[in-house]
Amino acid sequence: MMKPLHYKRFFLPLFVAAVYSFLYVPMLIMLIFSFNKATLGYAWQGFTLDWYKQLLQSIEIWTVFKNSLIVATAAVALSLTLGVALIWGLNRRHQHILSLFYATIMIPEIVISVGLLTVFVFFQVPLGLVTLIAGHTLLGLGFVIPIVHIRFNELDRRLIEASLDLGASMGQTFFKVVLPFLLPALIASGLLVFIISLDDFLISFFCSSATSQTLSLYIYSTIRAGVSPVINALSAVMLFSSSILVLIFLSLSSRLTQENS
Amino acid sequence: MNKVRKIFSSQHSFFITTPAIIWQSLFLWVPLLFLFVASFLHIQEHGARFTLTHYLHIFNWEHIIVVMRSLGLAFFNASVCLIIAYPVAYFLACNLKRGKNIALFFLTLPFWINFLVHVYSWFFLLEHNGLINRLLMQLGVIKQPLHLMNSLAAVMIVMFHGYLPFMILPLYTILQKLDKRLIEASLDLGATRSYTFFNLVLPLSYSGALSGFFLVFVLTFGEFVIPSLLGGGKTLFVGTLISEYFLAIRNTAQGAAFTFLSAGMLIMALFGSYLLLTRLIKGKK
Repeated sequence: MMKPLHYKRFFLPLFVAAVYSFLYVPMLIMLIFSFNKATLGYAWQGFTLDWYKQLLQSIEIWTVFKNSLIVATAAVALSLTLGVALIWGLNRRHQHILSLFYATIMIPEIVISVGLLTVFVFFQVPLGLVTLIAGHTLLGLGFVIPIVHIRFNELDRRLIEASLDLGASMGQTFFKVVLPFLLPALIASGLLVFIISLDDFLISFFCSSATSQTLSLYIYSTIRAGVSPVINALSAVMLFSSSILVLIFLSLSSRLTQENS
Repeated sequence: MNKVRKIFSSQHSFFITTPAIIWQSLFLWVPLLFLFVASFLHIQEHGARFTLTHYLHIFNWEHIIVVMRSLGLAFFNASVCLIIAYPVAYFLACNLKRGKNIALFFLTLPFWINFLVHVYSWFFLLEHNGLINRLLMQLGVIKQPLHLMNSLAAVMIVMFHGYLPFMILPLYTILQKLDKRLIEASLDLGATRSYTFFNLVLPLSYSGALSGFFLVFVLTFGEFVIPSLLGGGKTLFVGTLISEYFLAIRNTAQGAAFTFLSAGMLIMALFGSYLLLTRLIKGKK
């Protein structure tokens, strides 16, 4: 009998390793170059932290970062409030309304963006942070409502009935029973909306003015001219903060699934 | 008890649901309706009338070819992603014992990284004196640097890179739920590995493959950033042409007509690929 070929066992793991390195090698190179002394070109000219210093001192970057932060925070707060209100208020018979909100992610974002732009221009709404918040909250609802809805369906309805039976008002029931139960889903979807808003390019591209530039728009307009060392440093910082957010998100969602099983 | 039920299911809480519904109507359905109406309106000094001229104007070969190019790219990208992602998702879900959390972390991370950073990281590799050209020249493969930036190849590579995780994750989720004992049973009963794969694993992971495929398809189709930064401006795609209409030419009506033309063709293409995928995956009986 022939022995099974050994290299076959290693084929799949090697393939997976290759795909993972394909995903991360470009970013690793970018990370390394953020410490490179050279202004232009790709030769290694020694280690420096100058670009990080420049990044911290750049007024422009702080301004766009502040704009992004305002929009993202507002979008998170609004989409969570509106989403939870909808799910709590909707009774069983009207559940189909929720499917409307599942539609947002299925429409290409460019269509939503040009639609928003057309409406804002028609009604002469000045483009700015407010229009950005409107658009990002819309995107956020498309993520908050499915996630929170799944969690809400897992809540034992008898708990609500018991709470009402024992004399708590609707408000008390909501804040003491429902909200604590929803909390992990709220944090997870809130984080998701936050990062979606920070990442968003198209809605920001179409619905912002010169004074309401966001981080993504700033990166876009800078890298159109090619590689820029300050953007390397900025990308590295964003990479790092994304990793931390992912860790929080994953630990939350693993807790959610553990409770379920 | 009955009274409680009545309160709980009564209409009085309905008004707190309205803000979300109003928000979505105002910023999603109204804009879409607006675009749709605008694409059929001829606006004159006094009033407007129904017209088909906008559609007739864009219904020509130059516009169709842009949509076809985007569709082709989307189909190609989604197919390649599916083929490459499947083994990865399968390995993560079925074979990997240790280090699963780390693998999952690095699978989730791309979703949380700014998409522009994704695209930007390729600049170092693709630019005129970037790393790929330098490496190839050092190895003596080429004498002159290749024009990697501003080419269709660059657009395709970066799209593949950007959207591959969107394919792996749904596949992983569905394969994770797959009862591994079914595979063991099939192998025990004498089926070969490939027979088990094609007749058991693949059909059972059908929904994951489908959702990943459509996700990547739609995202690639409407993609704007990658062609505008790496496509070199000469080759137009749906995303870049739509933005031309709305931001440069500023012809809302024709832009809207083009948007709906491409959306219509997208839906047809999605339906076509749905039939194709269903045949490919489920047809093998």
